[in-house]
Amino acid sequence: MTTIKDSKGRQTAPLTPWKQKSRKEKKPLPGVGSMDGRWGYAAIAPFFIIFLIFGVAPVVYSIYIAFFKWDPLGESEFNGINNFIFLVQDSDFWLALRNTFSIWALSTFPQMVIAISLAAILRNKRLKGKSFWRTILLVPNITSVIAITIVFQQLFGREYGLINSVLGLIPGVENIDFIEGVIPSHIQIATMITWRWVGYNTLIFLASMLAIPDELYESASVDGATKWQQFKYVTLPSLKNTITFVLIVGTIGGLQVFAEPQQLAADGGSTKQFLTLTLFLYNQAFLNNKYGYAAAIGIAITFIVLIISAINFVITRKISGEGSR
Amino acid sequence: MKKSTTRNAFLGAFVAMAVSLGVLSAPAKAAEQITLTIWTFGEVIQPGLQREYQKLHPEIKIIPIKNDVDPLHQKTILSCQTGGPADIIAFEVPYSGYWRTGNRPSCFQDLRQMKTSGTNAEAGVAAGLSANDIKKNYLPWRWEQGVAFNDAVIGIPTDVGGLQVAYRTDLFKKAGLPTDRAAVSKLWPTWDAFIATGKKYVSKLTPAEKKAGKGFIDDAGSIYAAVMNQGTVKYYQPDGTDAGKLVYKTNPQIKKAWDTTVKALDAGIGARLGQFTSDWNIGMNKGAMATILAPAWMLDYIKKQAPDTKGKWDIADLPVGGGNQGGTELGIPSYSKNKQAAYDFLTWYLAPEQQLKVFKTYGLFPSTSVLYDDAALLDYKDEFFSNAPIGAIYTKGVLKLKPIFEGELQRKIDATFGAGLGRVASKKMTSAKSYALVISDIDKLFKN
Repeated sequence: MTTIKDSKGRQTAPLTPWKQKSRKEKKPLPGVGSMDGRWGYAAIAPFFIIFLIFGVAPVVYSIYIAFFKWDPLGESEFNGINNFIFLVQDSDFWLALRNTFSIWALSTFPQMVIAISLAAILRNKRLKGKSFWRTILLVPNITSVIAITIVFQQLFGREYGLINSVLGLIPGVENIDFIEGVIPSHIQIATMITWRWVGYNTLIFLASMLAIPDELYESASVDGATKWQQFKYVTLPSLKNTITFVLIVGTIGGLQVFAEPQQLAADGGSTKQFLTLTLFLYNQAFLNNKYGYAAAIGIAITFIVLIISAINFVITRKISGEGSR
Repeated sequence: MKKSTTRNAFLGAFVAMAVSLGVLSAPAKAAEQITLTIWTFGEVIQPGLQREYQKLHPEIKIIPIKNDVDPLHQKTILSCQTGGPADIIAFEVPYSGYWRTGNRPSCFQDLRQMKTSGTNAEAGVAAGLSANDIKKNYLPWRWEQGVAFNDAVIGIPTDVGGLQVAYRTDLFKKAGLPTDRAAVSKLWPTWDAFIATGKKYVSKLTPAEKKAGKGFIDDAGSIYAAVMNQGTVKYYQPDGTDAGKLVYKTNPQIKKAWDTTVKALDAGIGARLGQFTSDWNIGMNKGAMATILAPAWMLDYIKKQAPDTKGKWDIADLPVGGGNQGGTELGIPSYSKNKQAAYDFLTWYLAPEQQLKVFKTYGLFPSTSVLYDDAALLDYKDEFFSNAPIGAIYTKGVLKLKPIFEGELQRKIDATFGAGLGRVASKKMTSAKSYALVISDIDKLFKN
């Protein structure tokens, strides 16, 4: 029996007493032992083979063609790093970067607030029909993006859209053009993204809220904390890690926004006001037939994701460091 | 009562099963079952005619798969590299320049090497006809749009997009304008006169109507393509080479089309409803526009979107006359496994008799010029458009058309100019600044 001592030399109970015994009696089960070796590789091989063919190979190939002027049905010529030089000089790229981050910010932060609020409501023990509400939250998430876009376009229509009809009731308010305006168009796209993902994030927040021990709330209420104070000082700090997780997943998703702007206008709008990075890549490859240039854009996006992941990593470490203090 | 419904349901299920089994077992009797997969868009493949052909040939099953025009183009490019399931592919005329040049014609079967098999002999298509034998049925310059620069015939024309003006007689009357189609056509011999008429119309609108965004024309930006296509050269000038010479910076026709459109935008005659948007569909019902520059194929769309406006529309001549917009080719990809069946279907489907039917039911104007002096076409009237003799009107317009050289990136350049005019329409940029941006955007297309 091993004993565990903490830093001050006091004995504590073993963390997993049920495992102590089995460690002594560890005996390989007949037949299973041989699977540890070669057969184990065979068992995981299908994933890696598929990953190699559909994951690694295209990545390597696209790095290769990023150095070419690559026409799918014509001749291709070596282009050196010209694609990358052209990319840095291409104002559309910087515009796409701006749009992507603007749409990301407009969708992520309101989404976070709404999701946490909804989760706080759903956490309520006296709420009737819990599973119904939780299930219904996921419906927008499984709806096709195209269908969502068609409906939202009707809501956001400049002349006959519902939103402008309601705004028109206020005297002196002009119709807002949710396509031509830069921020209005970003709001329209961000709304669609929020609509689709808010329920999913609510469930994640709800799960981690349900993991907060009731004792914390009880002692808080004994101390005379109001509901709002309980939320602010108990719920929110406990959600820190979840918030980081949602933020990271949201950022990765935010850099991939594609279908919504493409449905509004395939070219990203007349002033490219809602051209996102992935739409920019797609258009270069599949509208302009510049596969090499598109591959270069893909590599640039990879680097942007790496930079953001690094920032996320630093922030996460800082937050979890604070948590243990 | 309850019981008998259940029994009926069982009976129904049994019958349904028997029928479906029957359907499944029927092909076993036919010699061989052929499935023709058609990649298409819009209304190119008409369900009515498809059913008719399947009735003629029970052994053939036709599966049309619809995409939007641009994604379909992309799919066609990819499938040319990798092979695919399609037996027939539709491509728009603005993309014909792409397929006719370079080594890309090899993506399609050369139809000169095909011969009709005679399975449609009773339906009017004789046996042993190659593409060169049916050429004489079609409008010559329209036929050429399906002929590659190595002389291979890669596509057969479906419709030709003659352009005219659809206008609302009730709204014209309200604004004190003539309503008779001959008188209306006389209102605008030139584009300037068209814009002046628009101004007159807009000045009669009440402030409330103006606030509601009503206008004379649905989208003043559509004037650009109309003026552009009245010339003979767009962005590429024929110079003896396959590719043509790029003239998007120098062609005076472009400047003329741009300036005319900007003039119309500045005059405020447009309702700023982009075509095929939901606002446009609703606006059509609410009388937000009094005119639409309508290619023949758009008439059916108007009928379907605004059925309540029946009898309130009429068709007048396009200013200057002779406008063109759209048109499609049907070709057989080289990788198709059913080339003979596909060719037999094409030669039947695009024969004059069938094109006439398509025009009467769906409004796509035939590219088979042998029909242009046929009374069946010329006397055709449409109730929806105040009994306008649309057959005669569109024939008159199409006969005035001049062929235009379509270059490789035609559609993309068109779209870039469209975006430029969009910036002017939404007052995001001045005309000069936007024009400069268009040119630099096109420059970019040819770099890298």
